[in-house]
Amino acid sequence: MAIGEVDWTPFCLSGKLAIMTTAILLILAAPLAYFLTFSRFRAKFLCSAAINLPLVLPPTVLGFYLLIVMKPDGFIGSIWGWFSNASLLFSFSGILFASLIYSLPFAVTPMQTAFAKIDIRHIESAKVLGLSSTAAFFRVVLPNSLNGIFAAAILIFVHTLGEFGVILMVGGSIPGRTKVSSIAIYEAVEALRYKEAGIMSLALLLICYVVLITINLLNRKNGYGT
Amino acid sequence: MVKNDAFKGKHRFSIFAVGLMLLFPAGLFAAERLTVGVAANFILPFKALAQTFGRKHSIPVEATFTSSGNLYGQIINGAPYDLFLSADRERPEKLFQNRLAEKPFVYARGKIVLWGLNKDLYSTDKWEKALMLPSLKKISIANPDTTPYGFATMKALQTIGQWPVVQNRLIFAQTIAQSFQYAHIGSVDAGFCAYSSIFTDEGNRGRHLLIYHAPDIIQAACILKRTKIHNRAEAFAEFLISPEAERIKQTYGYR
Repeated sequence: MAIGEVDWTPFCLSGKLAIMTTAILLILAAPLAYFLTFSRFRAKFLCSAAINLPLVLPPTVLGFYLLIVMKPDGFIGSIWGWFSNASLLFSFSGILFASLIYSLPFAVTPMQTAFAKIDIRHIESAKVLGLSSTAAFFRVVLPNSLNGIFAAAILIFVHTLGEFGVILMVGGSIPGRTKVSSIAIYEAVEALRYKEAGIMSLALLLICYVVLITINLLNRKNGYGT
Repeated sequence: MVKNDAFKGKHRFSIFAVGLMLLFPAGLFAAERLTVGVAANFILPFKALAQTFGRKHSIPVEATFTSSGNLYGQIINGAPYDLFLSADRERPEKLFQNRLAEKPFVYARGKIVLWGLNKDLYSTDKWEKALMLPSLKKISIANPDTTPYGFATMKALQTIGQWPVVQNRLIFAQTIAQSFQYAHIGSVDAGFCAYSSIFTDEGNRGRHLLIYHAPDIIQAACILKRTKIHNRAEAFAEFLISPEAERIKQTYGYR
Protein backbone atom coordinates (compact mmCIF):
# COMPACT_ATOMS: atom_id res chain seq x y z
CA MET A 1 0.00 0.00 0.00
CA ALA A 2 1.31 3.39 -0.95
CA ILE A 3 1.19 6.38 1.34
CA GLY A 4 -1.30 7.95 -1.05
CA GLU A 5 -3.84 5.24 -0.31
CA VAL A 6 -4.05 6.11 3.37
CA ASP A 7 -6.88 8.44 4.29
CA TRP A 8 -5.16 11.44 5.88
CA THR A 9 -8.38 13.16 6.95
CA PRO A 10 -7.98 11.94 10.56
CA PHE A 11 -4.52 13.50 10.65
CA CYS A 12 -5.78 16.86 9.43
CA LEU A 13 -8.49 16.63 12.06
CA SER A 14 -5.96 15.79 14.79
CA GLY A 15 -3.79 18.69 13.66
CA LYS A 16 -6.72 21.09 13.67
CA LEU A 17 -7.81 19.88 17.09
CA ALA A 18 -4.28 20.15 18.50
CA ILE A 19 -3.70 23.64 17.11
CA MET A 20 -7.03 24.97 18.37
CA THR A 21 -6.61 23.35 21.77
CA THR A 22 -3.14 24.84 22.09
CA ALA A 23 -4.24 28.34 21.07
CA ILE A 24 -7.27 28.44 23.34
CA LEU A 25 -5.57 26.80 26.31
CA LEU A 26 -2.62 29.18 26.24
CA ILE A 27 -5.01 32.09 26.57
CA LEU A 28 -7.14 30.44 29.26
CA ALA A 29 -4.30 28.93 31.25
CA ALA A 30 -2.07 32.00 31.55
CA PRO A 31 -4.33 33.92 33.95
CA LEU A 32 -5.07 30.70 35.81
CA ALA A 33 -1.36 29.97 36.29
CA TYR A 34 -0.84 33.60 37.31
CA PHE A 35 -3.53 33.27 39.93
CA LEU A 36 -2.16 29.97 41.23
CA THR A 37 1.36 31.38 41.48
CA PHE A 38 0.84 34.82 42.98
CA SER A 39 -2.53 34.81 44.71
CA ARG A 40 -2.63 34.72 48.49
CA PHE A 41 -5.96 32.91 48.38
CA ARG A 42 -5.76 30.21 51.06
CA ALA A 43 -7.72 27.46 49.30
CA LYS A 44 -5.45 27.80 46.28
CA PHE A 45 -4.16 24.26 46.72
CA LEU A 46 -7.69 22.93 46.21
CA CYS A 47 -7.92 24.70 42.85
CA SER A 48 -4.50 23.45 41.89
CA ALA A 49 -5.45 19.85 42.68
CA ALA A 50 -8.69 20.15 40.72
CA ILE A 51 -6.88 21.47 37.66
CA ASN A 52 -4.39 18.62 37.80
CA LEU A 53 -7.08 15.92 38.10
CA PRO A 54 -7.12 15.06 34.35
CA LEU A 55 -3.46 14.14 34.73
CA VAL A 56 -4.18 11.21 37.01
CA LEU A 57 -7.81 10.30 36.30
CA PRO A 58 -8.46 7.40 33.94
CA PRO A 59 -9.70 8.85 30.62
CA THR A 60 -12.85 6.78 31.10
CA VAL A 61 -13.71 8.61 34.33
CA LEU A 62 -13.19 11.98 32.69
CA GLY A 63 -15.03 10.75 29.59
CA PHE A 64 -17.95 9.57 31.68
CA TYR A 65 -18.40 12.91 33.45
CA LEU A 66 -17.96 14.82 30.20
CA LEU A 67 -20.59 12.57 28.62
CA ILE A 68 -22.99 13.41 31.43
CA VAL A 69 -22.52 17.20 31.26
CA MET A 70 -22.33 17.32 27.47
CA LYS A 71 -25.50 15.31 26.81
CA PRO A 72 -28.22 17.32 25.02
CA ASP A 73 -30.04 17.63 28.36
CA GLY A 74 -26.83 17.93 30.39
CA PHE A 75 -25.57 21.13 31.99
CA ILE A 76 -23.20 22.23 29.23
CA GLY A 77 -24.95 20.35 26.43
CA SER A 78 -28.20 22.21 26.99
CA ILE A 79 -26.51 25.61 27.07
CA TRP A 80 -24.69 24.72 23.86
CA GLY A 81 -27.91 23.46 22.28
CA TRP A 82 -29.62 26.73 23.19
CA PHE A 83 -26.95 28.73 21.37
CA SER A 84 -26.17 26.56 18.38
CA ASN A 85 -29.19 24.25 18.11
CA ALA A 86 -26.84 21.30 17.74
CA SER A 87 -25.56 18.47 19.90
CA LEU A 88 -22.21 19.04 21.57
CA LEU A 89 -21.56 15.31 21.84
CA PHE A 90 -20.17 13.64 18.73
CA SER A 91 -19.22 16.98 17.18
CA PHE A 92 -15.88 18.66 16.62
CA SER A 93 -16.73 21.36 19.15
CA GLY A 94 -17.42 18.58 21.63
CA ILE A 95 -14.01 16.95 21.29
CA LEU A 96 -12.41 20.39 21.37
CA PHE A 97 -14.12 21.09 24.69
CA ALA A 98 -13.04 17.69 26.03
CA SER A 99 -9.45 18.35 24.88
CA LEU A 100 -9.41 21.69 26.69
CA ILE A 101 -10.29 20.00 29.97
CA TYR A 102 -8.03 17.01 29.34
CA SER A 103 -4.93 19.08 28.53
CA LEU A 104 -5.49 21.85 31.07
CA PRO A 105 -2.83 20.60 33.53
CA PHE A 106 -0.29 20.45 30.69
CA ALA A 107 -0.91 24.14 30.08
CA VAL A 108 -1.04 25.37 33.66
CA THR A 109 1.85 23.45 35.25
CA PRO A 110 4.74 24.61 32.98
CA MET A 111 3.48 28.19 33.11
CA GLN A 112 3.15 28.05 36.88
CA THR A 113 6.72 26.79 37.15
CA ALA A 114 7.98 29.54 34.87
CA PHE A 115 6.05 32.24 36.73
CA ALA A 116 7.33 31.02 40.09
CA LYS A 117 10.93 31.42 38.91
CA ILE A 118 10.50 35.10 38.24
CA ASP A 119 12.16 37.23 40.87
CA ILE A 120 9.29 38.72 42.85
CA ARG A 121 11.26 41.97 43.12
CA HIS A 122 10.81 42.55 39.38
CA ILE A 123 7.08 42.49 39.80
CA GLU A 124 7.23 44.64 42.91
CA SER A 125 9.40 47.20 41.15
CA ALA A 126 6.94 47.27 38.30
CA LYS A 127 4.12 47.95 40.73
CA VAL A 128 6.13 50.64 42.49
CA LEU A 129 6.66 52.24 39.09
CA GLY A 130 2.90 52.42 38.75
CA LEU A 131 1.85 49.35 36.76
CA SER A 132 -1.40 47.63 37.64
CA SER A 133 -1.46 43.87 38.31
CA THR A 134 -2.75 43.23 34.80
CA ALA A 135 -0.12 45.45 33.20
CA ALA A 136 2.58 43.79 35.30
CA PHE A 137 1.36 40.43 34.09
CA PHE A 138 1.62 41.40 30.43
CA ARG A 139 4.81 43.44 30.66
CA VAL A 140 6.88 41.67 33.27
CA VAL A 141 5.58 38.16 33.91
CA LEU A 142 4.79 37.02 30.36
CA PRO A 143 7.99 38.28 28.66
CA ASN A 144 10.05 36.60 31.38
CA SER A 145 8.40 33.21 31.00
CA LEU A 146 8.40 32.70 27.26
CA ASN A 147 10.15 29.36 27.51
CA GLY A 148 7.60 28.07 29.99
CA ILE A 149 4.81 29.18 27.71
CA PHE A 150 6.47 27.54 24.76
CA ALA A 151 6.93 24.32 26.72
CA ALA A 152 3.25 24.44 27.65
CA ALA A 153 2.28 24.92 24.00
CA ILE A 154 4.31 21.92 22.87
CA LEU A 155 3.01 19.72 25.66
CA ILE A 156 -0.61 20.63 24.91
CA PHE A 157 -0.03 20.00 21.23
CA VAL A 158 1.45 16.50 21.53
CA HIS A 159 -0.87 15.52 24.34
CA THR A 160 -3.89 16.44 22.23
CA LEU A 161 -2.40 14.64 19.23
CA GLY A 162 -2.19 11.47 21.30
CA GLU A 163 -5.60 11.71 22.91
CA PHE A 164 -7.70 8.60 22.54
CA GLY A 165 -10.04 7.42 25.27
CA VAL A 166 -11.79 10.66 26.11
CA ILE A 167 -12.35 11.53 22.45
CA LEU A 168 -13.68 8.06 21.72
CA MET A 169 -16.17 8.41 24.57
CA VAL A 170 -17.53 11.88 23.82
CA GLY A 171 -16.83 12.01 20.09
CA GLY A 172 -17.60 8.52 18.90
CA SER A 173 -15.78 8.08 15.63
CA ILE A 174 -17.56 10.21 13.06
CA PRO A 175 -15.45 10.43 9.89
CA GLY A 176 -14.27 13.98 9.21
CA ARG A 177 -15.67 15.29 12.46
CA THR A 178 -14.44 13.33 15.45
CA LYS A 179 -12.41 10.47 13.97
CA VAL A 180 -8.92 11.66 14.92
CA SER A 181 -5.72 9.85 13.98
CA SER A 182 -5.44 7.73 17.13
CA ILE A 183 -8.97 6.41 16.62
CA ALA A 184 -8.34 5.83 12.91
CA ILE A 185 -5.32 3.70 13.85
CA TYR A 186 -7.36 1.72 16.39
CA GLU A 187 -10.03 1.03 13.78
CA ALA A 188 -7.50 0.11 11.11
CA VAL A 189 -6.01 -2.47 13.48
CA GLU A 190 -9.44 -3.81 14.33
CA ALA A 191 -10.25 -4.20 10.64
CA LEU A 192 -6.90 -5.94 10.00
CA ARG A 193 -5.61 -3.09 7.83
CA TYR A 194 -2.16 -3.42 9.37
CA LYS A 195 -0.32 -1.65 6.57
CA GLU A 196 -2.51 1.41 6.89
CA ALA A 197 -2.21 1.29 10.68
CA GLY A 198 1.56 0.95 10.29
CA ILE A 199 1.91 3.98 8.04
CA MET A 200 -0.29 6.13 10.27
CA SER A 201 1.48 4.98 13.44
CA LEU A 202 4.87 5.71 11.93
CA ALA A 203 3.72 9.19 10.96
CA LEU A 204 2.50 9.88 14.48
CA LEU A 205 5.67 8.44 15.98
CA LEU A 206 7.87 10.68 13.84
CA ILE A 207 5.85 13.78 14.65
CA CYS A 208 6.07 13.11 18.39
CA TYR A 209 9.78 12.30 18.18
CA VAL A 210 10.55 15.54 16.36
CA VAL A 211 8.54 17.49 18.90
CA LEU A 212 10.42 15.92 21.82
CA ILE A 213 13.75 16.68 20.15
CA THR A 214 12.62 20.27 19.78
CA ILE A 215 11.86 20.46 23.50
CA ASN A 216 15.30 19.10 24.32
CA LEU A 217 17.02 21.61 22.07
CA LEU A 218 15.03 24.41 23.63
CA ASN A 219 15.90 23.28 27.12
CA ARG A 220 19.57 23.30 26.24
CA LYS A 221 19.35 26.91 25.13
CA ASN A 222 19.54 29.29 28.03
CA GLY A 223 16.51 31.43 27.48
CA TYR A 224 14.32 33.59 29.62
CA GLY A 225 12.26 32.06 32.33
CA THR A 226 13.80 28.65 32.63
CA MET B 1 2.67 55.59 26.30
CA VAL B 2 -1.08 55.74 26.44
CA LYS B 3 -1.30 55.08 22.73
CA ASN B 4 0.96 52.08 23.07
CA ASP B 5 -1.28 50.64 25.77
CA ALA B 6 -4.34 51.05 23.65
CA PHE B 7 -2.70 49.23 20.80
CA LYS B 8 -1.73 46.38 23.06
CA GLY B 9 -5.26 46.17 24.37
CA LYS B 10 -6.59 45.86 20.84
CA HIS B 11 -4.06 43.24 20.06
CA ARG B 12 -5.07 41.23 23.08
CA PHE B 13 -8.68 41.54 22.15
CA SER B 14 -8.06 40.27 18.65
CA ILE B 15 -6.28 37.19 19.97
CA PHE B 16 -9.27 36.57 22.17
CA ALA B 17 -11.68 37.06 19.30
CA VAL B 18 -9.79 34.58 17.13
CA GLY B 19 -9.93 32.11 20.00
CA LEU B 20 -13.67 32.55 20.29
CA MET B 21 -14.14 32.13 16.57
CA LEU B 22 -12.19 28.90 16.67
CA LEU B 23 -14.62 27.62 19.28
CA PHE B 24 -17.53 27.70 16.89
CA PRO B 25 -18.53 24.38 15.37
CA ALA B 26 -16.99 23.41 12.08
CA GLY B 27 -19.96 21.15 11.44
CA LEU B 28 -22.30 23.99 10.59
CA PHE B 29 -21.87 23.34 6.88
CA ALA B 30 -24.76 21.63 5.18
CA ALA B 31 -24.26 17.90 5.49
CA GLU B 32 -24.55 16.22 2.14
CA ARG B 33 -22.69 13.05 2.89
CA LEU B 34 -24.57 10.20 4.44
CA THR B 35 -23.22 9.29 7.85
CA VAL B 36 -24.05 5.75 8.87
CA GLY B 37 -23.48 3.93 12.14
CA VAL B 38 -22.67 0.33 11.23
CA ALA B 39 -22.33 -2.76 13.41
CA ALA B 40 -18.76 -4.07 13.24
CA ASN B 41 -19.66 -7.46 11.74
CA PHE B 42 -20.78 -5.67 8.59
CA ILE B 43 -17.58 -3.70 7.85
CA LEU B 44 -16.58 -5.54 4.67
CA PRO B 45 -19.94 -5.74 2.88
CA PHE B 46 -20.71 -2.19 3.92
CA LYS B 47 -17.60 -0.81 2.29
CA ALA B 48 -18.51 -2.56 -0.98
CA LEU B 49 -22.12 -1.41 -0.69
CA ALA B 50 -21.16 2.20 0.04
CA GLN B 51 -18.85 2.25 -2.95
CA THR B 52 -21.49 0.90 -5.33
CA PHE B 53 -24.13 3.24 -3.97
CA GLY B 54 -21.80 6.21 -4.08
CA ARG B 55 -20.93 5.54 -7.70
CA LYS B 56 -24.55 5.13 -8.75
CA HIS B 57 -26.09 8.08 -6.95
CA SER B 58 -22.98 10.22 -6.51
CA ILE B 59 -23.73 10.48 -2.81
CA PRO B 60 -20.68 9.95 -0.60
CA VAL B 61 -21.29 7.54 2.28
CA GLU B 62 -19.24 7.58 5.46
CA ALA B 63 -19.47 5.08 8.24
CA THR B 64 -18.57 4.58 11.86
CA PHE B 65 -17.96 0.93 12.69
CA THR B 66 -18.35 -0.21 16.28
CA SER B 67 -20.58 -2.44 18.38
CA SER B 68 -24.35 -2.10 18.05
CA GLY B 69 -24.59 -1.35 21.75
CA ASN B 70 -22.08 1.47 21.49
CA LEU B 71 -23.85 2.96 18.45
CA TYR B 72 -27.19 2.68 20.24
CA GLY B 73 -25.82 4.62 23.21
CA GLN B 74 -24.38 7.27 20.92
CA ILE B 75 -27.66 7.69 19.05
CA ILE B 76 -29.60 8.14 22.29
CA ASN B 77 -27.10 10.87 23.19
CA GLY B 78 -27.61 12.65 19.89
CA ALA B 79 -24.96 11.24 17.54
CA PRO B 80 -25.32 12.68 14.03
CA TYR B 81 -26.01 9.50 12.08
CA ASP B 82 -28.50 9.39 9.23
CA LEU B 83 -28.90 5.63 9.36
CA PHE B 84 -28.21 2.90 11.88
CA LEU B 85 -27.30 -0.62 10.75
CA SER B 86 -27.54 -2.76 13.85
CA ALA B 87 -26.61 -6.40 14.29
CA ASP B 88 -29.92 -7.16 15.96
CA ARG B 89 -33.60 -6.25 15.76
CA GLU B 90 -34.07 -5.13 19.36
CA ARG B 91 -32.03 -1.94 19.31
CA PRO B 92 -33.55 -0.39 16.13
CA GLU B 93 -36.97 -1.42 17.46
CA LYS B 94 -36.29 0.40 20.75
CA LEU B 95 -35.22 3.53 18.87
CA PHE B 96 -38.41 3.29 16.83
CA GLN B 97 -40.52 3.03 19.98
CA ASN B 98 -38.74 6.03 21.49
CA ARG B 99 -39.50 7.99 18.31
CA LEU B 100 -35.84 8.41 17.49
CA ALA B 101 -36.03 6.29 14.35
CA GLU B 102 -38.38 5.27 11.59
CA LYS B 103 -39.72 1.74 11.21
CA PRO B 104 -36.80 -0.73 11.16
CA PHE B 105 -36.27 -3.20 8.34
CA VAL B 106 -34.17 -6.36 8.09
CA TYR B 107 -31.16 -5.96 5.82
CA ALA B 108 -29.02 -9.02 6.55
CA ARG B 109 -28.91 -12.40 8.25
CA GLY B 110 -25.55 -13.44 9.60
CA LYS B 111 -24.02 -16.47 11.28
CA ILE B 112 -21.41 -17.08 13.96
CA VAL B 113 -18.37 -19.29 13.56
CA LEU B 114 -15.54 -20.45 15.74
CA TRP B 115 -12.41 -19.48 13.82
CA GLY B 116 -8.72 -20.07 14.39
CA LEU B 117 -5.35 -20.80 12.85
CA ASN B 118 -4.80 -23.67 15.30
CA LYS B 119 -4.14 -26.95 13.44
CA ASP B 120 -6.13 -28.99 15.98
CA LEU B 121 -9.30 -27.31 14.77
CA TYR B 122 -9.14 -29.53 11.68
CA SER B 123 -9.61 -32.62 13.82
CA THR B 124 -13.34 -32.10 14.22
CA ASP B 125 -16.38 -30.75 12.38
CA LYS B 126 -18.32 -29.80 15.47
CA TRP B 127 -17.64 -26.59 17.34
CA GLU B 128 -18.72 -28.04 20.68
CA LYS B 129 -16.03 -30.73 20.31
CA ALA B 130 -13.45 -28.17 19.23
CA LEU B 131 -14.22 -26.27 22.40
CA MET B 132 -12.85 -29.23 24.40
CA LEU B 133 -9.50 -29.19 22.61
CA PRO B 134 -6.77 -28.63 25.22
CA SER B 135 -4.79 -26.47 22.79
CA LEU B 136 -7.54 -23.83 22.79
CA LYS B 137 -6.38 -22.09 25.95
CA LYS B 138 -7.76 -18.67 25.15
CA ILE B 139 -10.85 -18.00 23.07
CA SER B 140 -12.06 -14.55 22.13
CA ILE B 141 -15.72 -13.61 22.22
CA ALA B 142 -17.42 -10.29 21.54
CA ASN B 143 -18.86 -8.55 24.61
CA PRO B 144 -22.36 -10.05 25.13
CA ASP B 145 -23.68 -6.82 26.66
CA THR B 146 -22.92 -4.55 23.73
CA THR B 147 -22.74 -6.85 20.70
CA PRO B 148 -25.61 -9.00 19.40
CA TYR B 149 -23.06 -11.49 18.05
CA GLY B 150 -21.51 -11.84 21.47
CA PHE B 151 -24.94 -12.22 23.01
CA ALA B 152 -25.88 -14.97 20.55
CA THR B 153 -22.56 -16.70 21.22
CA MET B 154 -23.26 -16.63 24.94
CA LYS B 155 -26.72 -18.10 24.34
CA ALA B 156 -25.23 -20.91 22.23
CA LEU B 157 -22.67 -21.66 24.94
CA GLN B 158 -25.47 -21.73 27.50
CA THR B 159 -27.49 -24.10 25.29
CA ILE B 160 -24.71 -26.68 25.32
CA GLY B 161 -24.09 -26.05 29.02
CA GLN B 162 -20.54 -24.78 28.53
CA TRP B 163 -20.99 -21.08 29.47
CA PRO B 164 -19.87 -21.45 33.11
CA VAL B 165 -17.10 -23.88 32.15
CA VAL B 166 -15.37 -21.78 29.48
CA GLN B 167 -15.46 -18.53 31.46
CA ASN B 168 -11.81 -18.62 32.48
CA ARG B 169 -10.71 -19.17 28.87
CA LEU B 170 -12.72 -16.34 27.36
CA ILE B 171 -11.18 -13.05 26.25
CA PHE B 172 -13.80 -10.36 25.75
CA ALA B 173 -13.45 -8.13 22.69
CA GLN B 174 -15.20 -4.79 22.19
CA THR B 175 -16.66 -5.83 18.82
CA ILE B 176 -17.01 -9.01 16.79
CA ALA B 177 -14.42 -7.56 14.39
CA GLN B 178 -11.95 -7.25 17.26
CA SER B 179 -12.67 -10.84 18.26
CA PHE B 180 -11.54 -11.89 14.78
CA GLN B 181 -8.52 -9.60 15.00
CA TYR B 182 -7.42 -11.27 18.26
CA ALA B 183 -7.75 -14.70 16.67
CA HIS B 184 -6.02 -13.65 13.47
CA ILE B 185 -3.03 -12.06 15.18
CA GLY B 186 -2.73 -15.12 17.39
CA SER B 187 -3.25 -13.45 20.75
CA VAL B 188 -5.96 -16.08 21.28
CA ASP B 189 -6.08 -19.66 19.98
CA ALA B 190 -9.51 -19.27 18.45
CA GLY B 191 -12.28 -16.73 18.37
CA PHE B 192 -16.02 -16.54 17.96
CA CYS B 193 -16.35 -14.46 14.81
CA ALA B 194 -18.85 -13.32 12.24
CA TYR B 195 -19.19 -15.77 9.34
CA SER B 196 -18.39 -12.85 7.03
CA SER B 197 -14.84 -12.71 8.47
CA ILE B 198 -13.85 -15.86 6.59
CA PHE B 199 -14.58 -14.18 3.25
CA THR B 200 -11.25 -12.39 3.42
CA ASP B 201 -7.71 -13.45 2.56
CA GLU B 202 -6.93 -13.62 6.26
CA GLY B 203 -10.06 -15.57 7.13
CA ASN B 204 -9.44 -18.01 4.33
CA ARG B 205 -6.21 -19.15 5.96
CA GLY B 206 -7.86 -20.44 9.10
CA ARG B 207 -10.40 -23.09 10.00
CA HIS B 208 -13.99 -22.18 10.78
CA LEU B 209 -16.69 -24.21 12.47
CA LEU B 210 -20.29 -23.08 12.29
CA ILE B 211 -22.01 -22.42 15.61
CA TYR B 212 -25.21 -24.17 14.63
CA HIS B 213 -26.66 -23.89 18.12
CA ALA B 214 -27.04 -20.15 17.55
CA PRO B 215 -29.95 -19.09 15.35
CA ASP B 216 -29.27 -16.79 12.39
CA ILE B 217 -28.51 -13.26 13.54
CA ILE B 218 -31.25 -11.12 12.08
CA GLN B 219 -29.90 -7.63 11.51
CA ALA B 220 -32.19 -4.64 11.22
CA ALA B 221 -31.51 -1.07 10.13
CA CYS B 222 -33.44 2.17 10.53
CA ILE B 223 -33.41 5.75 9.29
CA LEU B 224 -32.89 8.10 12.21
CA LYS B 225 -35.38 10.89 12.64
CA ARG B 226 -32.71 13.50 13.25
CA THR B 227 -31.40 13.15 9.68
CA LYS B 228 -31.44 16.35 7.66
CA ILE B 229 -31.11 14.54 4.34
CA HIS B 230 -34.05 12.20 4.53
CA ASN B 231 -34.29 11.62 0.76
CA ARG B 232 -30.73 10.41 0.59
CA ALA B 233 -31.12 8.23 3.67
CA GLU B 234 -34.22 6.69 2.13
CA ALA B 235 -32.41 6.10 -1.16
CA PHE B 236 -29.69 4.25 0.71
CA ALA B 237 -32.22 2.24 2.72
CA GLU B 238 -33.90 1.15 -0.52
CA PHE B 239 -30.57 0.31 -2.09
CA LEU B 240 -29.67 -1.78 0.96
CA ILE B 241 -32.42 -4.31 0.19
CA SER B 242 -32.19 -4.11 -3.60
CA PRO B 243 -31.21 -7.20 -5.66
CA GLU B 244 -27.89 -5.54 -6.48
CA ALA B 245 -27.09 -5.13 -2.78
CA GLU B 246 -28.23 -8.68 -2.07
CA ARG B 247 -25.58 -9.99 -4.46
CA ILE B 248 -22.87 -8.00 -2.68
CA LYS B 249 -24.05 -9.20 0.73
CA GLN B 250 -24.07 -12.81 -0.47
CA THR B 251 -20.42 -12.63 -1.44
CA TYR B 252 -19.71 -11.99 2.25
CA GLY B 253 -21.86 -14.83 3.50
CA TYR B 254 -25.00 -12.88 4.41
CA ARG B 255 -28.44 -13.87 3.29
